[in-house]
Formats: sequence, structure tokens, C-alpha cells
Amino acid sequence: MSNYISTVGVEVHVELKTKTKIFSNSENGYGQMANSLTNVVDLAYPGTLPTLNEEVINLAIRAATILNCNIQRKMHFDRKNYFYPDISKNYQITQNDTPIGYDGYVEIETSSGEKEKIYIEEMHIEEDTCKSAHRGNRTLLDFNRAGVPLIEIVTKPCMKSGEEVKLYLEKLRELLSFGNISDCKIEEGSMRADVNVSLRKEESDPLGIKAEIKNIGSISNAKLGVEKEIERQTKLYDNGETFLPQTRRFDDKLGDTVLMRVKETGNDYRYFPEPDIPYVIITEEMIEKAKKEIPMLPDERREKYKELGVSDINTTKLVANRSLSDYFNTLLEEKTNFKTASNLLLGDIAAYLNKKEKEITETTLTKERFLELIKLMDNNTLTSKNLKDILNEVLESTEKIEEIMKEKGIENITNDDEIKSIIQKIIEENKESVNDYKNGHDRAIKYLMGQVMKETKGKANPKLAMDILTSCLQEL
Amino acid sequence: MKEKLSREEVLHVANLARIKLTEGEIEKYQVELKKLLTDVEKINEVEGYDEDILIACWDEFARLRKDEVGNMLDPKQVVENAPHHAGNYIEVPVVIGESEGA
Repeated sequence: MSNYISTVGVEVHVELKTKTKIFSNSENGYGQMANSLTNVVDLAYPGTLPTLNEEVINLAIRAATILNCNIQRKMHFDRKNYFYPDISKNYQITQNDTPIGYDGYVEIETSSGEKEKIYIEEMHIEEDTCKSAHRGNRTLLDFNRAGVPLIEIVTKPCMKSGEEVKLYLEKLRELLSFGNISDCKIEEGSMRADVNVSLRKEESDPLGIKAEIKNIGSISNAKLGVEKEIERQTKLYDNGETFLPQTRRFDDKLGDTVLMRVKETGNDYRYFPEPDIPYVIITEEMIEKAKKEIPMLPDERREKYKELGVSDINTTKLVANRSLSDYFNTLLEEKTNFKTASNLLLGDIAAYLNKKEKEITETTLTKERFLELIKLMDNNTLTSKNLKDILNEVLESTEKIEEIMKEKGIENITNDDEIKSIIQKIIEENKESVNDYKNGHDRAIKYLMGQVMKETKGKANPKLAMDILTSCLQEL
Repeated sequence: MKEKLSREEVLHVANLARIKLTEGEIEKYQVELKKLLTDVEKINEVEGYDEDILIACWDEFARLRKDEVGNMLDPKQVVENAPHHAGNYIEVPVVIGESEGA
């Protein structure tokens, strides 16, 4: 048991999903040929000036709203000066004094089911730097990323454990990706997290010496990094040692943090207001527009699905699959069986999509055809087994599902009376099995069921036939 | 008020500007930089001084650009205009130990 109180704060950079960069009209893209998405502004040629992208402001307002932040009505940008080849202007345009959002929070749910607020100090807009790769004593630069719009979200030092950091990052990723603000792909660098960890003896003590962990490649590593860092600092203090404020990075192979550099002096970025961009005024209309564009968020989806009778497990699975969830949402205004809809989507259809590496929107399953499919399954015209036989046609052709069934010779007996008369015939012909069943041999019913299916050449709906068979046997 | 900056203050500024100073220059800048700062401080004496003017010295507010892709440069042009390149990458001497921005 540790004798120290740990304090953790998180800074997250998220790339915004815009078509163009923040201060120039070159394309905001990923995975393209090096230096192919640039223009003179991104490369900071002399005489070029920044022009602010309206969609950046729109998405940042949307993010601030989702993160329950207050929104700055009159804001400006600042220059953060530093010498490093990843920024050719020698300064980064960011927001130091007037972050677009401030004093917000995100609600997480702990493993014990309790809700907890993670407080956001501020959220500001800035430009991304170019990507640099070191090769011996040379550095290679790719400016495709230079000027990609970012928002940086800074929490208060309000967390205490790696678990909380994990839950916070998962929630943030969910909110920002469902909000269509960012792809939040950590592996591609569109979401990057740095965590600050310090220890102190008492709540009343000032915050302890801080270690910042950078280059965290996944949410699980963020959790592990925090836990390892708490462990490391605890050992040092227990041994009566101390350390200097420092920057560490998470090493995947070691599964631990390693020292990058010691911060002997504070950074001197000489911030000053960016003179090339006048004040930005955020109007009521801009806020209203951004709010209106917020898609249905995960918590709201969960609530809605439960209301519609979707099982807990299917609700969780649906919300975890954005494209299936969006597709499911197109049905919300319809009168249909949502339980069947979710079972179909997450069962055979999801299996097909995984196998073919397709999105649901790439199939031919329009809303109308899906509603037809749900109806056919619900009234037992189509069985689960039949569906497996015709699934490819259902998802790859535009034919009516009933037509596909006809072509494949699928004709199920769904008439209760018809099935009942067949069952009565089978009962008459198999008295021995009926007796076995009555004497408690459950397996006998399977034999009888087999006979029913044989008699109907597999065209009786199995579930319906089983129900009728069971009730007939009980009546004897 | 002291009449010159400390040696450390001058060296700090020189470090930020990535320049080397001789002993003579350090002494010279201790006095000259101080004078410059004193001149700048005179702004505080202006009556009715509005801080906004330091951020944007005109009445107009920022006009926002539509999010539409425009012309981009050919990567060949980009790298050929740099002193050194390797393939499509601009090549520079490695800088270790400095902080990165974003």
C-alpha cells in the first residue's frame, strides 16, 4: 500500500476532420506521398499569411459543447516560439490566453458503476507540426501534417490512477469520434495523449515533482505508463531520493517509461499574440449551428436502444460499431422489431461484413430491404438457416428478398393448422417415442421433431414446429 | 531600478536566439537591452491605454475561409527548393534535445 497520493493530469491532441488545413487551403490528408499536401503557407515561405478555416472553428465549438465547456466569445491566437525543424516558421500558432473552450467536464463510469466527472481546464485550437524522422545525423521532414488543425484538451490534475486515465481517454475518443470531430486513430496519430504524474504525502501539500510521459501509442499503454510511473516515483521517495522534473516516454518493448530529458529550466516559449490574425468573434449563430450538427452521442444511443427493447449486450456491441449503429439509427422512425433488427445486424450480417471487409453501406441492403428482411424473419417465413443460404444474394443484389427466396425454392410452412395436422400424424405413427417422452426421455422429442422435418421436407419453421409439437405432447 | 541586465539574463536571451556572444558583447547588451526594455515600458504611461490594441491594431475581426481545397505544390518543387533532400523528404541536420511543439 502506497503512502503517497498520486495526481494525474492528461493532455490530448486531436486532429480535426476538416478537408483543408487550419491556415491554408492545402488538403488535410493522411498516408499520402511525402510533401504532396503542402503549399507556400504550410512551408512558411516569406510573405505568406494565415487564413483561418471556418470549419475548424465550427468543429472546435462542437467539441467544446460536447465536453461541457464554456465557449470564449472573443478570442485570439498566440505565437509559441521555439527552435526545432518540425515548424518552419520557428513558431507554432496556438491559443495561450483565450482558449476556445474552458471549465468543462467529461463523465466516466467506474468499474463499480459510479459516475465520476473528469474536469477539463481548457481546450484550445492550434496547428500540427510537420512529421520528422531521424536517420543517423540527419532528419527527414514531411510537411503533409504541417498545419493540420488540432484541438488540445487539458484536464485539471484531477485523476489518481491509470484506470481513471484509461476510462477518460476511452470516453473522450468515443465522444469525439461519434461527434464527427476527429477519427481519433491513436495508431495513425490523429489522437495523441501525454500524461503528467506526481506524488505528494497529503492532500494539503502542494503538487509534487512532475514527470510528463509522452509518445503513448495506445490507451492501455497510457494506463500502464501511469501505473509504472507511480511505482517508480514511490520507490524513489521511499528510498529518500528525489528527482528533477522530467519528460519520459513509454517504451512498448519494455512495457515501462524511460527518461527522454530532464527539464532543468522551464521552457521559454515567449508567447505573444499572433499579429497576422485579427480577433475571432464567436457568435450565437455559430454556436447554435455547431450544436445542431452534433450527431446522436453514445450515451443517448444506449438509452434509446434499451428503450426499444434491444438487449444489453447488443446495445454495447452496436454502440461499439459506429457504422452499424448509424445504420440502425436510420430505422428509429419505423415500426419494426428492433430486437430482430439488432440480432440480424450483429449476427449474420456482421459476420458477412467482417469476412468481406466491407461496411454495411457498401452492401445492397437498403433500409426498405432490411425492413422486409426483419418482417420475413419475424413472421417465420424465413428461418435463420434459410437466411444463411441466401445471405450473399440479400447483401449483394437489389432483388426483393421474397423473389430471392422463390428462386432458391425456399417456401416455409408457416400455417399453424397445416403444421399441427402433420404433427398429429407423426404422433400417431410414433407411439413408442411419445411414450418415451412421457416417461421423461427428453431425447425422444428430438426424434419426433426430426420426423416432422422429414415429413415437411424441411419446410416447416423449426421454432414454430417445436412449439406446436411440445404443446401437442403436453396435451396427451 | 537597476541600470543593466544581469549577465545570465543576456546569456538566456542569446541562447533563445541561438547566437554566441563574446565577453565584450555580453557587457554591451547588458546595458543596451536594458535601455530597450525601459523604452518599451513607456507604453504603460499612455493614458486610456487599451490592451486590445496590442493583439489586433485594427477594428476588423477575422474573416473565415471556406473549407475548400485549393492548389498544392508539386513535391518535387518543394524538396528542390530546400538545401538538401532525400527522395521526397526535406533533409536537415538532426536536432536533439530541443522541445517539439504540438
